[in-house]
Amino acid sequence: MSGRATSRVLIVHLAVIALLFLAQFALPAYHHTNVARIMVLAGYALGYNILLGYTGLMSLGHAMFFAAGMYGAGLPVYYLGLGAAGALAAGIAAGVLLAAVFGLIALRTSGVSFLIVSLMFAQAFYLASLYFNEITLGDQGFILSGHLAPLEFGGASLGFHEPAVKYNAALLLFAASLLLSLGLRVSPIGRVLIAIRENEERTRLFGYDSFRYKLLSLVLSGGLAAAAGASYALLFSYVGSTFASILFSIYPLLWTLLGGIGTLLGPLVGTGLMFYLVDVASGMTSAYLLVVGVVLVVLVLWFPQGILGTVRAKWLPWLP
Amino acid sequence: MAAMAAVAPLLETEALCKRFGGLAAVNEVDLHVAPGEIRAIIGPNGAGKTTLVGMICGRLAPTSGRVLYRGREITAMRPWERLMQGIVYTFQVTSIFKGLSCYENVALPAQRGLMRGFATRLALGEQLVADRVHAALDAVGLAGAAAQRADALAYGHQRLLELAMALAAEPQLLILDEPTQGLAEGEIAQLCELVRAISRRATVLVIEHNMPVVLALAERVTVMDSGRIIAEGTPAEIERHPDVQKAYLGR
Amino acid sequence: MSFWPHLLLALLEGTVTAFVLALTALGLSLVFGVMRIVNVAHGEFFMLGAVLAWFCANLVGTPVAGFLFAMIAAPLVVGALALAADRLILRRIDYHPEGTIVATIGLLYIIQQAVLTLYGPDARPVAPPVYFTLSFPWFGYSGYKLVVAAMSAILLAATWWLLARTTLGLYMRAAQQDLEMAQAFGVPARRVYAMVFALGAMLAAVAGVLVVPIQQAHYLMGLDPLLLSFIVVIIGGLGSLKGTLVAAFVVGISDGVVSVFFSPTLAKIVATLLVAAVLVIRPGGLFGEERA
Repeated sequence: MSGRATSRVLIVHLAVIALLFLAQFALPAYHHTNVARIMVLAGYALGYNILLGYTGLMSLGHAMFFAAGMYGAGLPVYYLGLGAAGALAAGIAAGVLLAAVFGLIALRTSGVSFLIVSLMFAQAFYLASLYFNEITLGDQGFILSGHLAPLEFGGASLGFHEPAVKYNAALLLFAASLLLSLGLRVSPIGRVLIAIRENEERTRLFGYDSFRYKLLSLVLSGGLAAAAGASYALLFSYVGSTFASILFSIYPLLWTLLGGIGTLLGPLVGTGLMFYLVDVASGMTSAYLLVVGVVLVVLVLWFPQGILGTVRAKWLPWLP
Repeated sequence: MAAMAAVAPLLETEALCKRFGGLAAVNEVDLHVAPGEIRAIIGPNGAGKTTLVGMICGRLAPTSGRVLYRGREITAMRPWERLMQGIVYTFQVTSIFKGLSCYENVALPAQRGLMRGFATRLALGEQLVADRVHAALDAVGLAGAAAQRADALAYGHQRLLELAMALAAEPQLLILDEPTQGLAEGEIAQLCELVRAISRRATVLVIEHNMPVVLALAERVTVMDSGRIIAEGTPAEIERHPDVQKAYLGR
Repeated sequence: MSFWPHLLLALLEGTVTAFVLALTALGLSLVFGVMRIVNVAHGEFFMLGAVLAWFCANLVGTPVAGFLFAMIAAPLVVGALALAADRLILRRIDYHPEGTIVATIGLLYIIQQAVLTLYGPDARPVAPPVYFTLSFPWFGYSGYKLVVAAMSAILLAATWWLLARTTLGLYMRAAQQDLEMAQAFGVPARRVYAMVFALGAMLAAVAGVLVVPIQQAHYLMGLDPLLLSFIVVIIGGLGSLKGTLVAAFVVGISDGVVSVFFSPTLAKIVATLLVAAVLVIRPGGLFGEERA
């Protein structure tokens, strides 16, 4: 990408971050927390997008990385009183480690086989979280709010229950995930990942060990998902095994598809839209997951490129 | 002849075999290619030509035998490592990145030589890559197509794109698998010019069915049939060779 | 109860599980073998069979009549639904592998939530059509469970007969071997695909009808059979029917044994890790051909 194109891309993405920052002063309280949640979950979707959108590998097991981050952060806080920074680091480390081990085993398969292996691993993780429920408290889960010390920053004490702290911490995480994804996208590594997606054998014969690149992609993807999981635990105070369930592996696929696979801002758009769709639907019926089903079928039949994917194809070809 | 024998071969295969079940697709092949040669490999369909070069570039693992490059054994070397040694292969059925722009297609091999170490994998001066990309596209005559999507090109131009990609990979041994297939007359002539230019810097191994091209381009010809080499020599010698005529006519 | 009687119980349970699993997994395996697609909504067809059986039992007087009615009605209804899904969705995306996965995930939620709306969140029992106990010296065992195993065996045999001896079966096997070749010989590919998809769904539905007097009918009951079917199909080999049957027995019996001696959750953890291991070591499964 030329210098001019890169600046344009960077400006657009920084503008989105700036808009999100400013939005907190305009949003009413209910939406304030929602947007904070959306930003954290969008980080999860961004992680997923690196594997699916850039590298072309579809996983149905990403909930295990999110949950690894969640438990990796939440358990030390709950049982050992670890502080937020340490917990975040522990959560990310757990996700990265799990992704690396999983990748070393599962990347020997591809396509449908990889999908099923990822589903199986994630399901084993979920079942383990239920099996060891003396520690994890299983489905019921546990709350961190009595256990998490406020963040001491520059003399000020920032409690995680405060909306402003939640929002800006979530924004910080989202911004970091977005800029990391952008950096990857324009880097030589990003180019290789996309090439692997398009034609793996040709890429190998042009000097690239595709296994290593796929593993890197998986580790980054899992790491971002774990960061989202750890942040979710720290900011919204709840840790439970529902976040390791299959539905939670399907969500990032749904959000990414809706927003536009392989686009950078697509995950944010998809997460936000689906969050509100589900929110509205759950107010109307207990069968609100019907919305999930319908959206998936509609996307596959008529909008496989998703919202931003269609926008990019029709009007803005320079959008990464 | 004597002069050629004195120079160490760039590429050698020793008793190279590839079996699929009971079938020997390549059977005890000893190939020697001198540096700077243009060598053509010809033979009827199913002779094992693509399988042979597949083992040279690393796509396929041999059942037995050895591959030597610059005197070193590379039989177990992975395909991406062979590229770094300068062995570059273009596919019989054009293999490019159809959904990406021509620029991005050529950028992938172009950047490889610039990626040394951790830092250059994270970020590369895009100008360095761009220079290499444009040089390769210019060489094959696709200078104006950089921004176009690869699948928007005509088939002949897609083949040229793959050749540009191969050039950007800085080949020392360039293996072309039926490069003229699907090309129009004018494009074939253009390709021959290009191959002659390339052979000033690299050794070229060409699998071809198009005999006029073989006669015009090749310095030496290796003829395969049913997995074995049945004849080797200059194009003129091969044209007259009785076994070669039998192999082709007997089909 | 000491060890051996426990083991006998475990083996009995495992055998029943294995037969039902074989029936369910066969449907998934056929669909993958012939159409090269994975139907993630497969478990929901199973669940629909069970729920429809409950409706039938409530409509008709006796458990036996209800059961017989369900055995006929449920597969027909589910088969029709599958045909509709094939026509409206799968055919439109030309059976594209990843698109089908996403679309069938969507179908899963649509079916599941529709059942939630119409049937409710409760688990409801269905009385077995026959009730008798097999008295062993150490425990009594439900006779109906053995009827389930027997009926599953009959249905498996019937399916084998369909595949091996009928024209439709011939078309299915031809399409599985080489679709282009089959089409060149006049096999109507699209119609065969629709029939295979419907057959797969019907097998799952019948398994649901058989099983519902043992479990209860609940809108979430499709997930476990789906995962177990995946496990069986992978271990047995994607595309190999013989492999599916063998694997169903391996998985079913070991599931029974581990569940009785340890815990059901642990049994599932072991099974899921086992399938991951198989896929990695032998990407084609134990019997299957190597496919991506």
